[in-house]
Amino acid sequence: MIRRFIRISLLILLAGAAIAESPYEVLRSTGEGYAEVMPERAINFPQDHQPHPDYRIEWWYLTANLTDDRGQPWGVHWTLFRQSLAPAGPVDDWSSRQVWMAHAALSTPEGHVYGERFARGGIGQAGVAIDDEERFDAWLDDWQLLGTGPGPIPGTLSFTIGDRTLTLELSADTPWVLQGQNGYSQKSDQGQASHYYSQPHIRTTGTLTAPNMTVNLSGKAWLDREWSSQPLAPDQPGWDWFSIHLDDGHALMVYQLRHDEGAPWLSGTWVTPDGNARPLTADEIELRVKERTEVNVGPEETRALPLTWTLAIPSLEQRWDIRAVQPNHWLNTAFPYWEGPIEVTGTTPGMGYLELTGY
Amino acid sequence: MSGLASLRRLMWVGLTLLSHYRRHPAQTAFLIIGLVTGVGIWSAVQIINSHARASYAEADQVLGAQASHWVRASDGGGVDPDAYIQLRRAGFTQLYPVIETRVATDAGEPLWLIATDLLALPRSEGSIDASGAGWLAMIQPPYQTWYPPELAESLGVAPGDTLTLSDGRTLPPAVPQSQQQQGRRLFMDIGAALDVLDRDRFSYLAAAGLDADTARELEAALPSGLRLEPNRQRLDLNQLTESLHTNLTAMSLLSFAVGLFIVFNAVRYALLSRSPTFHTLRELGASGRQLSFAILLETGVWSLIGTGLGLAVGFGLSQVLLPPLAATLQSLYGAVVGADILLRPSTWLLAWGITLAGLVFALAMPLWQESRQSVRAARDLSDRWVRDRTARRRLAWVGLILALAAGAVYSQMTTVLVGFVVLGLALFAAAFCLPVVLGAVLGWTLRALPEKAWQLRWAFSDGGAQLPTLRIAMMALLLALTANLGVETLVGSFRTALTDWLDQRLAADLYLQRDSLTREELNLPADADWLAASHQRVGLDIRWRGRPTEVRGLEPEAPDSRALPLADSSNELSLWYVWDTDNPVILANEQVRHLAGVESGQTITLSTGLGDRSFEIVGFVHDYGNPYYQFYLPRGEVERLWPGRAEPQGLALWLSDRPDAEASAEAALLAAGAQAGDWIRQAQIKTVSLRIFDRTFAITAAMNGLTLGVAGLALLTALLAIHQQRLPDYAHWRSLGVRYREMGRVLTLPLAVIVLLTWLASMPLGALLSWLLIHDLNVLAFGWTMALDWDWAPAIRLGLLTAGVVAAALAVSLWRLHRQLPEALRRLGGQS
Repeated sequence: MIRRFIRISLLILLAGAAIAESPYEVLRSTGEGYAEVMPERAINFPQDHQPHPDYRIEWWYLTANLTDDRGQPWGVHWTLFRQSLAPAGPVDDWSSRQVWMAHAALSTPEGHVYGERFARGGIGQAGVAIDDEERFDAWLDDWQLLGTGPGPIPGTLSFTIGDRTLTLELSADTPWVLQGQNGYSQKSDQGQASHYYSQPHIRTTGTLTAPNMTVNLSGKAWLDREWSSQPLAPDQPGWDWFSIHLDDGHALMVYQLRHDEGAPWLSGTWVTPDGNARPLTADEIELRVKERTEVNVGPEETRALPLTWTLAIPSLEQRWDIRAVQPNHWLNTAFPYWEGPIEVTGTTPGMGYLELTGY
Repeated sequence: MSGLASLRRLMWVGLTLLSHYRRHPAQTAFLIIGLVTGVGIWSAVQIINSHARASYAEADQVLGAQASHWVRASDGGGVDPDAYIQLRRAGFTQLYPVIETRVATDAGEPLWLIATDLLALPRSEGSIDASGAGWLAMIQPPYQTWYPPELAESLGVAPGDTLTLSDGRTLPPAVPQSQQQQGRRLFMDIGAALDVLDRDRFSYLAAAGLDADTARELEAALPSGLRLEPNRQRLDLNQLTESLHTNLTAMSLLSFAVGLFIVFNAVRYALLSRSPTFHTLRELGASGRQLSFAILLETGVWSLIGTGLGLAVGFGLSQVLLPPLAATLQSLYGAVVGADILLRPSTWLLAWGITLAGLVFALAMPLWQESRQSVRAARDLSDRWVRDRTARRRLAWVGLILALAAGAVYSQMTTVLVGFVVLGLALFAAAFCLPVVLGAVLGWTLRALPEKAWQLRWAFSDGGAQLPTLRIAMMALLLALTANLGVETLVGSFRTALTDWLDQRLAADLYLQRDSLTREELNLPADADWLAASHQRVGLDIRWRGRPTEVRGLEPEAPDSRALPLADSSNELSLWYVWDTDNPVILANEQVRHLAGVESGQTITLSTGLGDRSFEIVGFVHDYGNPYYQFYLPRGEVERLWPGRAEPQGLALWLSDRPDAEASAEAALLAAGAQAGDWIRQAQIKTVSLRIFDRTFAITAAMNGLTLGVAGLALLTALLAIHQQRLPDYAHWRSLGVRYREMGRVLTLPLAVIVLLTWLASMPLGALLSWLLIHDLNVLAFGWTMALDWDWAPAIRLGLLTAGVVAAALAVSLWRLHRQLPEALRRLGGQS
């Protein structure tokens, strides 16, 4: 979702190209020269699993809520971002203007480990492509999401952080969910938008290996695909994003784009167990911060983040209390943000992932 | 007496002593000048040396990212990008690609260039953040070239300029900005380097912080043709550059010594006006212990002032001296020295320590002696003469002892450090003996002059009166002149030797530089009528006796192999040319002989691709400027012993004497696939080599100039002191009717004689110094031998320079004398 755009801004922040006061600026800058996100553009499979280098930014984004053999909660998030540094130019050699970035994070019952990597495009160190065996392949160095066919699901995710290696088998029976209007996801009333589709119903099993340790994991995962050239309006400082797997098989995505003044931009999607999606309008969603928690964001620094929320969708007669499983899931990457598993209680309980940016 | 009262009294005594400096600003100024110049030059070198060493400690980093290992191609041909990607995808994310190469501007100026992929640098090193703003533009067309600002300035490259290389290629637009460990190298994105330099391979892959297990895994995962090497640059650089830094330290210590002479001079000058204060203080009841404490206090205060100001000057000076030294280190040793100088606490402490030690000798001891003088200490001139004669004799005895010590240590000289101890002993022995010689010559001349020549006799007799104050300055001048002459002779001899050597070694007309352009590759027609001969060298780097060592394969029948610049050879030399596998012989550079201590006829063992092999050394070749050991074997033997490892090392072409030979050669080369700029003419290499040489010795010239400047100051302070102190005498002379012109003559003549004698003495001493430097120290330090090439020009230049300084100092003194004499006469009138 929109949230993912922030990661791309990392690249720009590091590149020093961003307007100094806000790394988010790249997300708000006009997409001049790049391809434009248009409502009438249809999403096509499997072609749209592949990169769209004529758009400024794009990502392949996976989160998973897992449990081990003892029933303890684990979480995984893995993202691959692509960015075009310039609207035109070569894609396929050392002069490529495509840049790739990946984040991988593992939420363990005791804590949180994560890593980040960068690579230039065009040289084979990172990319998304169809491999020699006609399989979907998304990779940066040895971090990889490899499909069994032309799409990422079913497939295998594998990455290493330090001396821990994770391998997850991913599969799903339901169709891809097109977010917004047939995959056209509006982000403001000023025309900012993205192309956006998801697979919220991914079954997953896998193993984590580390020296003297092997953990079997299983649970549910969520894959997002999104690309755009100008996703944010100039007065949107950050966002809060929720993806939730409910125990009855439904899935829910809700986000709010906070606004400098006035009401946030609220949006969401309700997905049935068989994969039918119903877009939620802003006036159907009641999202409130219940409590802020001090979170370690550096060796000597804490910040109060909204880690406990109430969410209600009266039109669906649903109401939940949401809280972070563990507070200390700050990613002190080059551009820092909070992302971690959440526990959902209420009308229908469940598990999910929360992302907080711009704090 | 209570403790407090005693402390107050001590303070009072100390302040009384220090008040001297407030009342005599000129003396204060000289003292400060002496301290500041001495400490300044010493600390500048200290700062530079420790900075360079700190840079070596970071030599296992590339642009701020650590590099514990290298991955290189076994055949020296560079690393294929596909192999790199394959290794990254196998999880070896510690690897990053580097292109490091030497290019040349179209004016032939060599430039070092380094390129990497900032995106691929290990994250923990934070290099992207460290590189700050601007890398976005750097990694995409039209790219950027990052110049260290200092280098951009010296090349005359302005931001946005595109520099043209000797091969006609153009570098991306310039941006003045430097990275950690960039040194004087140009920095570029690796994609840009592949494109601009038209390459398809990396020089090597660097690996950040591999632990032993990962290193083993990586080694196993390497595709064939690549090998993993530990990065030993830090150790190698420390070893290779040690001698150079010792040289610099020695020169800076000499400057420090000369600075102390000024201090000593100023203190002696001050003593005369201060002895009444000491006596008054004693009479007022200050105890000897209190006076001693006060003197220590004064010494402490001066040491702090001298250290502070000296370090400030030294820091400024180091900024000026570092660029030429950094250029030298880069061209000679490949060492990267950054431009950001830091003043370390250890330098502060060391500077304070040596200043304090120096001041104890130059300030505290004379003061202490003066304070112990009984009130009956005579104030008349004749007594001072007598005392001075005794002091001169005593100095000469010390000088003789130093000379004996120098001789004794010389026979035991095995390291550069001990070599400099010998030099120091010899120099100071000569300096200590100088006053007695000067006194003797003045005395003999006086005795030899006829009675009638009363004015000359007066002048030489007055020389005796000047000598006590002048002798320190003359000792400083002798030291400075000798050091200057010695070093100039060394540099001159070296330059002559280097020029001859270049003539002999660079005998071919054209040299092809691109390693991929071998004779075989070019497929030059053997019967081309423009080609007289050619020589394809090959080589590889190995380690021998723990040091980086080069093995070179020569073609024995090539013209330059037939006329190698041999320093020494055995009777077996001819065996090298007619190779016999059962009787393997080898040639080595002089460094092997002098630094590794191997003699002709001895056997050495090299580890080859086929195991250890032994060779008998049959000759040594001059190899100036090379810090590495080098061995020469016939090319075929190198290729046989190190299969697949010998890389091409350039192709030399001799042209026939046809008038259009050069044009034909160039046409043939172009037709064979070479590009303009791939070859270089003999004359151009020589020019560039000599330019590098001159730049290498720029720092020596700078140090030399500084030392002489300090000596000039010493002379000036001494002359001003003499005239200030003798003002009452001059007033007497005037009142007796002596004219200014006559006074000028009387004062100038002995001074001229004294300075002339000092200058004359500096010549044999300078020759001795240069002989020691060339014959012993240079060999110990670098392993290069050369002939001493004495040139009169520097001696005459220094003589003129000294005469100029003396004339200027004299003019200032006489002008001040002229202004102050009326006042002195009035005082004289008041006294009588």
